[in-house]
Amino acid sequence: MNKSVPVVKVLFVFCIALLVTAVSFFPGFADDPGMQNKVIFGPGDDKRGYESADYTTNTLDLQKRIGKEADLISFVRQPPLGLPPVPVPAENPVSTKKILLGRKLFFDRRLSINDTFSCGMCHIPEQGFTNNEIETAVGVEGRTGKRNTPTVYNVAYFNKLFHDGRESTLEQQVWSPFLARNEMANPSIGYVINKIKAIREYDGLFEEAFDGRGPTMETVGMALANYQRTLNSADSPFDRWYYGKEKGAVSEQAKRGFQLFTGKGGCSACHLVKEEYALFSDDRLHNTGLGYKESMRSGSGTTSVQLAPGIFTELENTVIQSVSRAKENDLGLYEVTENPNDRWKFRTPSLRNVALTAPYMHNGSIYTLRDVIDFYNRGGIPNEILSPLIRPLHLTDSEVEDLVAFLNSLTGGNVTTLVTDAFAAPVGDMGKDDPNWTHENKLEY
Amino acid sequence: MKKMANLHARWLQGTIASLCVLLASVVGFQSAAIADETCMSPYMAKIVGQEDYVYIWTLGKEGVGDGSDKLVTVAVNPESPHYGKVVNSLSVGGRNEAHHSGLTDDRRYLFAGGLDTNKIFIFDVHTHPNKPSLHKVITDFVEKTGGMVGPHTMYALPGRIMVSALSNNKDHGGRTGLAEFTNEGEFVAAHWMPTDEDMRGAQKVGNIADGYGYDVRVLPRRNVMVTSSFTGWSNYMMDFGKMLGDAEAMKRFGNTVVVWDLHTRMPKKVFEVPGAPLELRCAWGANNNYCFTTTALTSQIWLIHEDDAGEWHAQSVGAIGDPSQVPLPVDISITADDKGLWVQTFMDGKTRYFDISDPFNPKQTYEHQVGSQVNMISQSWDGKRAYFTSSLLGNWDKTGDQDEQFFKLFEWDGEKLVHKFTVDFYAENLGRPHQMRFGAYSLYSQKPNSEGTMLSQRVE
Repeated sequence: MNKSVPVVKVLFVFCIALLVTAVSFFPGFADDPGMQNKVIFGPGDDKRGYESADYTTNTLDLQKRIGKEADLISFVRQPPLGLPPVPVPAENPVSTKKILLGRKLFFDRRLSINDTFSCGMCHIPEQGFTNNEIETAVGVEGRTGKRNTPTVYNVAYFNKLFHDGRESTLEQQVWSPFLARNEMANPSIGYVINKIKAIREYDGLFEEAFDGRGPTMETVGMALANYQRTLNSADSPFDRWYYGKEKGAVSEQAKRGFQLFTGKGGCSACHLVKEEYALFSDDRLHNTGLGYKESMRSGSGTTSVQLAPGIFTELENTVIQSVSRAKENDLGLYEVTENPNDRWKFRTPSLRNVALTAPYMHNGSIYTLRDVIDFYNRGGIPNEILSPLIRPLHLTDSEVEDLVAFLNSLTGGNVTTLVTDAFAAPVGDMGKDDPNWTHENKLEY
Repeated sequence: MKKMANLHARWLQGTIASLCVLLASVVGFQSAAIADETCMSPYMAKIVGQEDYVYIWTLGKEGVGDGSDKLVTVAVNPESPHYGKVVNSLSVGGRNEAHHSGLTDDRRYLFAGGLDTNKIFIFDVHTHPNKPSLHKVITDFVEKTGGMVGPHTMYALPGRIMVSALSNNKDHGGRTGLAEFTNEGEFVAAHWMPTDEDMRGAQKVGNIADGYGYDVRVLPRRNVMVTSSFTGWSNYMMDFGKMLGDAEAMKRFGNTVVVWDLHTRMPKKVFEVPGAPLELRCAWGANNNYCFTTTALTSQIWLIHEDDAGEWHAQSVGAIGDPSQVPLPVDISITADDKGLWVQTFMDGKTRYFDISDPFNPKQTYEHQVGSQVNMISQSWDGKRAYFTSSLLGNWDKTGDQDEQFFKLFEWDGEKLVHKFTVDFYAENLGRPHQMRFGAYSLYSQKPNSEGTMLSQRVE
């Protein structure tokens, strides 16, 4: 018996070490032990390894998914470690009633012209509140969005919204996707308001949340802004190390990565890190050359297309073009200002939860963090108005890996809480009692 | 070594099964007499003579006519004064991504689904076979099923319609299920596809249990239901070219066929069938215990078959065209005698006829250029008439000059297709024709109306 004790101790220490490693690599597991056997940091339809013929599924079941309501307002009142106080407009203070109403609106698919699209169909909770499964968004009737869905994590902190920075407040921002023809495609503001008024589930909810005011352009925006303003995610391993002074919270490799991030790599020139907090964004727009490259691309050649696990083919681009509708170029900030110097400038995204928000860049064209760093290491894509901050970095392979380790340490400690809270939200779909816009006059047939 | 042993075992199983099937086809009775238009449910009333109408579930296109989805009725009885002409067009409002449709077992109602809006339109086709009317619209499919999106196949079971869905309302991906409705359109039950997290008692035969869905067919004799797998809303609604260039999106295709217990609706085996197995067609012969499917992306013919011990298997039995060029096999149709399989390849616009007398060794014996693109086929029970339509999906169809949209009839003499008529759906301001279903006065013991359309020959 005595002889076995050291073995048990060694095993115990090993297990603890393994757990600590796992928790620091997948920090979201830390705040809900019940979720440790679930992969909710990514699509439940897990396609990792799909490139290989040996791909094996690990598919989660939608019927098994369990939601758990969280105290969302606490993430506004006391944002997680590493974030500054949440800016809240005086005319729209946060309240639990407004947050819950905003969350209900966020996941209501009826708030689109044909009842198929909610905000949550693109900002998918377990996929980093973006869409990991496609490069650029697809809207009502499958209409093409030319940009990657940006995450809504920590969106409370920014004054430039959308990849081209065209909007300035969350309250106003919500109306763009509601009305955009290639997003939710509602024909007018009044149409959305009237629809909400006609859905019985909303009876009284606006009035309770807004001191007697019903659904209006303003209250709809304020409710949705309230929910999005709670999606603050930090207290990551990096935060616990850098701001919390927990020495072992991140690996030595991640620490080296941080030195590169703020030093040789020059990343923090745009992805800002401050003394008391870090938003990892300067809230400005820059030309990295990626937009330029896409605008100037050639249509000739071939494209490698995957057909099944481990099976690829090279398709002539002319074949692909035969089934392609015309694609709109993306000129970034220029589309807002029409200033030629603003061509191909896009907003600096925050890097918080960046491990969860692939694919990357404004057009979703880069799939891994390693490839993003390689892109910047090469100095972006040269063009006459390339940002002077973009230059070859001369990072070695191991330095690139260090940076990747650092970026992987930025996953917030409350991700599981925010995702399972979203799972608890009702998904609004057409019910028998809902207004049947198209077919209520079926006797005409 | 283990792999080799498995291969030998599979070869042996395949050989034995082949011999059994061959034997069955030699001594078994001819099944043509019991066949309906050949891809229909065996539970349905059958048109065994000349069909009077083809109902074409048509996708609206912006800028074409009213831009709305519609059920188009074309007279196809040569004795009709309106032969080859559109006799009715019934718009349903909106573009719902009209796709597949299916008749109830009594053929009185046609269920037609919208893959985008999740509406199911139920048309009365028996009161006036030449002028269907909209009987009811199911608008709460997603809510009733607990989150299924994209009602696809509408398949007749006794007093019921089994609907296979393509997607879900959580991530618009491919995880989905089957939903069961009464012939009156009342929801009965949802049956979700097996996933790794919940196999629902099924065996995962290969590495994959993706939970995707597409088509559904049954072999009642064997108490078997079979389903296949395609892709979720994000892909089937996306611009086809955009998707081909999106490597992440291209990972989101189904790679499974599931064999179910028909009576209990419980999945039994999940087979790995890589590259989006789409349409399923089960053999009609009394001893032919197998179904075919083709994979859209990998361009293979797969046989789903039962061995002597009652075990089901899935194996690839042949290629379609040059798979490296992705001809994209879409609709297929088995002949009533189980000896032939029509396969449409969308990208090259061809129809190909495979001799499947030996189901383990299909051989292409004929091909014909139907148009610049082609999707669906419906053949008459005797195999003498084959109807074709052009549209695949609203955002997958070809663009520019290659975007032909037609409904065509060909006669098949056993050696070649002979063109009889074409209805140009753009010229007629109708839209994009997709699935076809047949109608006949003879089904309802009716006389032809004043248009003079003749009675069909007989009904079983």
